[in-house]
Amino acid sequence: MVTPRIEKIRQNYINSKPAISYHRAAIWTESHKRTEGEAIPIRRAKAFYDTCAQLKLTIFEGELIVGATGEFRKCGILTPEFSWTWVDREMDSFDTRPQDPYVMTEEQRKYVREHIFPYWKGKSLEEHFLARLPKETAKVVVDTGIVDNDSKWRQAVGEITPDYQDVLFVKGFGGILKEAEEKYNALDNTSVENSKKKEFYESVMWTSKGIILYANRYADLALEMAKEEKDSVRKAELTQIAANCRRVPEHPPTTFYEALQFIWFTQIGAILSENPLALNPGRFDQYMNPYYQADIKAGTLNPEFAQELVDALWLKYSEWVWTISANTADYFAGYNQFQNLTVGGRTRDGKDATNDVTFMALKATEEVKTHQPGLSVRIHADAPQEFMNAVTHLVSVGTGFPAIHNDSVGYQMLLNAGYEPEDARDWNNCGCVVPHFRKTGEWTAAVNVNFGSALEFALNEGKTRLTNQKIGLDEKPAKEFTSYAEVENAFYKQFANLCKHAIIATIEAQRLHQEMVPRPFLSSCIEECMIQGQDLSMGGAKYNIGPVITGIGLAVVANSLMAIKKLVFEDKVTTMEELCNALAADWEGYEELRKLAQAAPKYGNDNDEVDNIAREICNFYYREIHQYKDINGAAFNTAFMGISNYLPMGKVLGATPCGRKAKEPSSEGVSPYVGTDTSTPLAAMRSAAKMNQEMHSGGTLLNLRLNHDLVATKRGQANLGAMIQSFFSLGAFHVQFNTISSEILKKAQQNPEEYKDLLVRVAGYSTQFVNLSKSMQDAIIARTAHAEF
Amino acid sequence: MDNKTDAQGGYILQLQNFSVNDGDGIRTTIFMAGCPLRCAWCANPEGFTLKNPMTHYVTVEVVVKKIKKQMIFYRNSGGGITFSGGEATFQPDFLRSMVNRMYDMGLHLAIETCGYFSFEEVYDILQKMDLIFMDMKHMDSHQHLTWTQKENTLILENIQKVSTLGIPMVLRIPTIVGVNASMEHMKSVFEWMESTVPHAKLEFLPYHRFGEYKYEQLRLKLPQTSFETPDDALIKAFTQLAQQYGIEVVSYR
Repeated sequence: MVTPRIEKIRQNYINSKPAISYHRAAIWTESHKRTEGEAIPIRRAKAFYDTCAQLKLTIFEGELIVGATGEFRKCGILTPEFSWTWVDREMDSFDTRPQDPYVMTEEQRKYVREHIFPYWKGKSLEEHFLARLPKETAKVVVDTGIVDNDSKWRQAVGEITPDYQDVLFVKGFGGILKEAEEKYNALDNTSVENSKKKEFYESVMWTSKGIILYANRYADLALEMAKEEKDSVRKAELTQIAANCRRVPEHPPTTFYEALQFIWFTQIGAILSENPLALNPGRFDQYMNPYYQADIKAGTLNPEFAQELVDALWLKYSEWVWTISANTADYFAGYNQFQNLTVGGRTRDGKDATNDVTFMALKATEEVKTHQPGLSVRIHADAPQEFMNAVTHLVSVGTGFPAIHNDSVGYQMLLNAGYEPEDARDWNNCGCVVPHFRKTGEWTAAVNVNFGSALEFALNEGKTRLTNQKIGLDEKPAKEFTSYAEVENAFYKQFANLCKHAIIATIEAQRLHQEMVPRPFLSSCIEECMIQGQDLSMGGAKYNIGPVITGIGLAVVANSLMAIKKLVFEDKVTTMEELCNALAADWEGYEELRKLAQAAPKYGNDNDEVDNIAREICNFYYREIHQYKDINGAAFNTAFMGISNYLPMGKVLGATPCGRKAKEPSSEGVSPYVGTDTSTPLAAMRSAAKMNQEMHSGGTLLNLRLNHDLVATKRGQANLGAMIQSFFSLGAFHVQFNTISSEILKKAQQNPEEYKDLLVRVAGYSTQFVNLSKSMQDAIIARTAHAEF
Repeated sequence: MDNKTDAQGGYILQLQNFSVNDGDGIRTTIFMAGCPLRCAWCANPEGFTLKNPMTHYVTVEVVVKKIKKQMIFYRNSGGGITFSGGEATFQPDFLRSMVNRMYDMGLHLAIETCGYFSFEEVYDILQKMDLIFMDMKHMDSHQHLTWTQKENTLILENIQKVSTLGIPMVLRIPTIVGVNASMEHMKSVFEWMESTVPHAKLEFLPYHRFGEYKYEQLRLKLPQTSFETPDDALIKAFTQLAQQYGIEVVSYR
């Protein structure tokens, strides 16, 4: 149970609605008007400084950790420098859109239309991207659901793990400022390289000063509030808050409490600077434990208060609302910002890494039931029993957390991407299921590719079935295919073409990010950027890893190819022509054929024949993507992540030969298609583990739903632990469980008011069930609940 | 197809992977066909006979092949194989053949039996078990005859004989209101256990109706509706009573 103090903050949080604040955008815009003509990094850094200096500050009732990006408890901000056109187009329906609505008043809309958007006309990243993207690629990637990378040109990249261990907690932003000044002063402008470096260091000076100022303004505010405060307990709290904000993030933290406040200021800095996706707290238990142990030893902290503080941070993580377009919201449903926090695993030198803070993190997620941070655990073969118990217990509570990862496969994935062993062993999760590291620049969710579209083009002469647009390559009519091999080749040809366009769109976006949206604040959190004098966007990190291309619809395509192989070419119960007619008719009038298609072997049941088709698709995908190099010369990477992208990518697909109807969801990650893993979760695990997961350095994802009864007892939880270890010994990377019963979900759908805190696993992350759109909720309910025993 | 049941193969209802309630860890339960009893409440009526629309023939080879795919889960969970039914000993040659193969694979083996068998005939099979579940339906032989169509004499004898093997044993009582779920009856069971098989553990299996659809599928008459599921309080009371006799009550839930 949380303490009354935390419960008060929690209730306050739960009962507020996500709302849009334009203040950051207003300050940002006015600042840019004053800096016309200056270097881009400097302009962005000055805008950041001005925001820190001018933003109205708020300390919400009862808070222990402070800092807000706007005036609302659940607050989304605008970043018109990335894109404003979609906001302009969509904000009138922000309140009413089905997925992730925001509160925005008429007055606010009027202000942004009059004072903010006009300035950015023709200047935003989105407009530049759309102007530059080759037409034939635009046809494939812009709001089509076929290849999608809009989060990389309508939003900032994010996807960073600030380095607390070697940078932030060691130097503080005061130390970073000093270092930037020294480097700046040591350079002259006698070469292009030097002047670029000077620009970088100057930009870091501005952002460092900015975040320090912002914290000091909070210290002033807390002091002022303390003076007015009648309640002596609150008065003492506010005084402590003031002292914390005076010290951090300028100086390295000296206590557990200060370190937590430091973390939140770092998140705030990143949010104000670019409103990023996937700003990962990283290995929280590793960098927090020394402070915890020191304070406990010194007698200045007790475990109960420490837990309260961690709970308080969890609530802060959850109040930031990522402002995204309706399109992006379909892909990343649930107000999710993907602040992935990783605990457990092994240390850099290979020892078991669990400690007291590991367990506090698990407890905080269980207690406060917030959708943030995205809690990930690393499980190694010799993980302590207490840790396994805590993990499976948390699964049994039904929050969908934690995301459970295989320690050694994460390590292998990073080795495969070129990391040194010690760094690879120190991995954390990024976003949902991407193995990452704190000295890395990488677009970890650069593009989504709809595998189902490639199959559709192969079977429909390069055209979409639903809109009859010619988007794929030329292909002969499907009725002329005379062998299964021919069908498969046609699929791979279209597939390779979609991969190519994904690459083109990414490289174009990467070029623009370098030119237009350097990231001084986040670069200053990454060690090598400061050493090299180079922004993250310019490849300043120690590891510049190639962008990750996520494949969607693996199960749908594998099942479909299997159905064609069996029904048309083996059993000969239908013809390509009849099958394609059935697809065109969305199976209407072909019910018998559809039954045969549904009865064909399905991926997720440990059936080698169909699993081998899936495996070959994965292998081909890797070879195809990995041959391309990004803007820094790094090879592109593959992933089978989830997010919620299988919904929009299903919406644009016609019926598929596996028996799926048009517009129904596609499949996520390496998970089976919904409802078709009818054997056991063990069989689903065995199928998923066949996908050579360690090769896909961008991460792989398996979601399973378990009936709550299976994990209700300690014994059931121990068996779950054994299942997880078995799955991992087969070479799999990730698994996550929903253990809520369908009955509860249906009740929640009917009475959302009563289930505001019900967390479910979407895919790669968990979020409040009631915050999902109806269709998303239905999709979750439909996932096979493995109840057999 | 009309295969014989012998050392090469036999008839099963189902091979159920991911079983977690019939012994330790994650198991595969092999539900074997055929049963000498006709329990009025039976949840697996398709197990009455060897051949019916809900059973099928499998070879030992096929069973072993399927089991190999589950090895990793047994290993990590301390699980294994449970032979159940129907009545697991009803096809002794088939059972022996599977048990010998799996014993050599080092698997943890358990059997769930109604106790109605010739001890001498299956002695060698039982010896290879790591855990034996034996059913205990009614202490009164006449009642036993009424509800299962067999007396309990042979069953009680066999429970006693099996207990001499020194293999961990759990007596299971399918607990049914209207049949055996009275304090008085339980008292007679516990007294017998205390005096005859003091080392056996005990598990209550509350009656459920999940098997009723099978009766319809097999065109059999449904069990009488007067059977009821005991509530948790009653099971708790039985448990406390058993404990007074020094009997360890377990649950594989």
